Amino acid sequence: MSAGGPLRALAELRLRVLWRRLRGGSGVPELVARIATFAFAIPAGLVFAGLTGAGAYQAARAGPGLRSSIPVAALYFGVWQTWMAVSLSVSDRSQLDLRRFLVYPLPPARVYGYGLAASVLGDPFTWFWCLLLLGAFAGAALARPGAWLALLALVSLGFVAATAAMAALVQELLGRLLRGRRVRELGIAAIYLGLAFLLLSSGGGPRPGVFQAIRTLARFRWLAYPAALASEAGAALFTGRSAAALPWIAALLAAGALSGWAAYRLALADARSGGEGAGGAARAAGGGWRLPGRLAPLLEKELKYLARHPLVTVLALIVPALSAFFGWKVAPHLPAEAGEVVRLLPLVGLAMYTHLATEVFWLNAFGGDRGGARAWFLAPVRLEDALAAKNAAVYALALALFAASAAALTAAAGAPPAWAVAAAVALHAGAAPWFLAAGNVVSVLVPRAASTSIQRGGRLSPLTALAGMALVSAVSAVFALPVLAALRLEWPWLVAASWAALGALGLWLYRLALPRTARLLSARREALLAAVAGDDE
Amino acid sequence: MLAIETHGLTRLFDGKPAVQDLSLAVPAGAFYGFLGPNGAGKSTTIKMLTGLLAPTSGRAAVLGTDLARDPLAVKRQVGVVPDGLGLFERLTGAEQLRIHGQLYGLPRAEAARRADELLGALELADQAGKLVGEYSHGMKKKLALGCALIHGPRLLFLDEPFEGIDAVAVSGIRGLLQDLVARGAMTIFLTSHVLEVVERLVTHVGIVREGRLAAQGTLEEVRGAAETLEQVFIRTVGEERPRPGLSWLGEGGAA
Repeated sequence: MSAGGPLRALAELRLRVLWRRLRGGSGVPELVARIATFAFAIPAGLVFAGLTGAGAYQAARAGPGLRSSIPVAALYFGVWQTWMAVSLSVSDRSQLDLRRFLVYPLPPARVYGYGLAASVLGDPFTWFWCLLLLGAFAGAALARPGAWLALLALVSLGFVAATAAMAALVQELLGRLLRGRRVRELGIAAIYLGLAFLLLSSGGGPRPGVFQAIRTLARFRWLAYPAALASEAGAALFTGRSAAALPWIAALLAAGALSGWAAYRLALADARSGGEGAGGAARAAGGGWRLPGRLAPLLEKELKYLARHPLVTVLALIVPALSAFFGWKVAPHLPAEAGEVVRLLPLVGLAMYTHLATEVFWLNAFGGDRGGARAWFLAPVRLEDALAAKNAAVYALALALFAASAAALTAAAGAPPAWAVAAAVALHAGAAPWFLAAGNVVSVLVPRAASTSIQRGGRLSPLTALAGMALVSAVSAVFALPVLAALRLEWPWLVAASWAALGALGLWLYRLALPRTARLLSARREALLAAVAGDDE
Repeated sequence: MLAIETHGLTRLFDGKPAVQDLSLAVPAGAFYGFLGPNGAGKSTTIKMLTGLLAPTSGRAAVLGTDLARDPLAVKRQVGVVPDGLGLFERLTGAEQLRIHGQLYGLPRAEAARRADELLGALELADQAGKLVGEYSHGMKKKLALGCALIHGPRLLFLDEPFEGIDAVAVSGIRGLLQDLVARGAMTIFLTSHVLEVVERLVTHVGIVREGRLAAQGTLEEVRGAAETLEQVFIRTVGEERPRPGLSWLGEGGAA
């Protein structure tokens, strides 16, 4: 029996699933949001492609030297690091799960390869990166037409394949080597902190320089081997040394193939082992939390859910540590003559960031419940209470993150003025009811089943992500107005007072919205349950 | 008194009826088996009676209370094991039971005490500290049954409780349910495809076909003296179909 027929069927399956994922399953708004995501990525990609094309044009005509090597390196390293960051944190990698396909008489390597291709083709961010590379190619072609362009195309294709393979490999390594849940979260946190420490510590003197940072990073460039190999090959090609580029091209293609093969072997081993399995020691059965009030059991459930979510562990480790780094390296360099209000910025940034960092919980409040969401509609629970408990738990998380991060920042940079602390606290508390009230509505209108893994996706739907961006922008704009007024009037306490007032208004609106959102939730319970409870794993 | 009474209950999905003009009468204290082929509307009916779905038209009263008028009052007296189970995967078994009991209004200490007893009765005491997400399917079914019982409901809805679990677990659940009904402790409304088990448990039967009630009454009335429940079921839903040839089966794989 030839493999052609089944493999064609597999390719058709991948394409149909990809098409349906892109089309979305939640009706017109979801489709519009997906189109909007691509509509942003592609024109933005075209604009940036034009810029990279201009840079490539200059590089192709410049000949040997920095004028050609820097744009080439910037292009490949820039694309690589953003692609990797997005892949590891945002992209859905369910197409690389081999478990469903092991039962079929199909070569698992081909299945994995098809999955890798589908994961690339279905990602709007990847289209953005490819447009940049296409722009660079176009600029180079305009500057110096010739046979060398075939090799340049090969470099770009090899770079795309190697980066996609490397992202898959890193995903599999994190999942395999760090099998224990807590260890994996600590590992991810350590990677982010290590990279941040590297970057921030590269500035040794009182004024950390861009060139010093670049020199530090250059020592570790071979860790980013797709970008390093592509930029070596590209630099040779742009300076007319095609023969010198050939070994780098061969190395790039080999590295990509090796990464893909290694990722596949790890994915196959994982699939054959049954995945994560039932690991984890049994916990003590007794006890529980004695919380006061009518919402006690609801609050206990929500807080425990958050405490056991891997993202929360990562945030708890990363955010305070990054704040401390910031306080150590950056805050001392804020010029005193910039004014007191500018010195408020680090704390203010933290106050808003901790809400942003937890948005996956307040923009998709029911996603993590999965099949358990049925309980909200089966048990004699007022839906306002369920919403309020979820909001209280998320706010407690954001507050804890903010407090820990502000303490770390203060320890590193010194105590800020009292009005700055008051303003930041007022901002954090004042923005919360606005985010939570609007987040409740988004959670009800656009629910999505959320994964508990931080490797294989579990992010928000495109529509939710767009709503989140719009919401954060709107709230930030409203809360920025008092800052402008305070700058003009040079009265810093105006900021704290205004934010407290906005917070009180937000709280009043939150209490007004809560029962209405509960009624909306009741009316939309079927759609919500279909979205979050439809695929109990 | 009737534990469940519906009049003209109807539910449409995209204009197509899943349940049509359903008029149920389930006596209090009965063990009622609600049977039908796949897609007949059994789960849809349970979802409407437990508040997961709103009916398109018709009325339903559960334990004498209009479901549309006072759903919370109904829910306080009812326990449900839904299709899909409705468990929180990131709570431990003990937490799931205790918190569930508290959601139904039990004081914390009482909920914890009952949770411990239920874990013992359901043979889950050793797994009480594990996350529900790590339970096997059978363990989840038993835990879901415990959640449905912890608040001492007067009416229990069970949507396919025996599907996907082994004979030992089925025997345990069956024994527990029979004991509850024998004590007159509650009314049970159950859907299942496992007719042999259902026939040994139920006192009343309703058979639904294409969303409509095709037969209803005591087990003896519906079954008649000489037939098994399976024979009545097949005759009622009229599912005998000519089998296709499938001549290629046994030829040993694709050419």
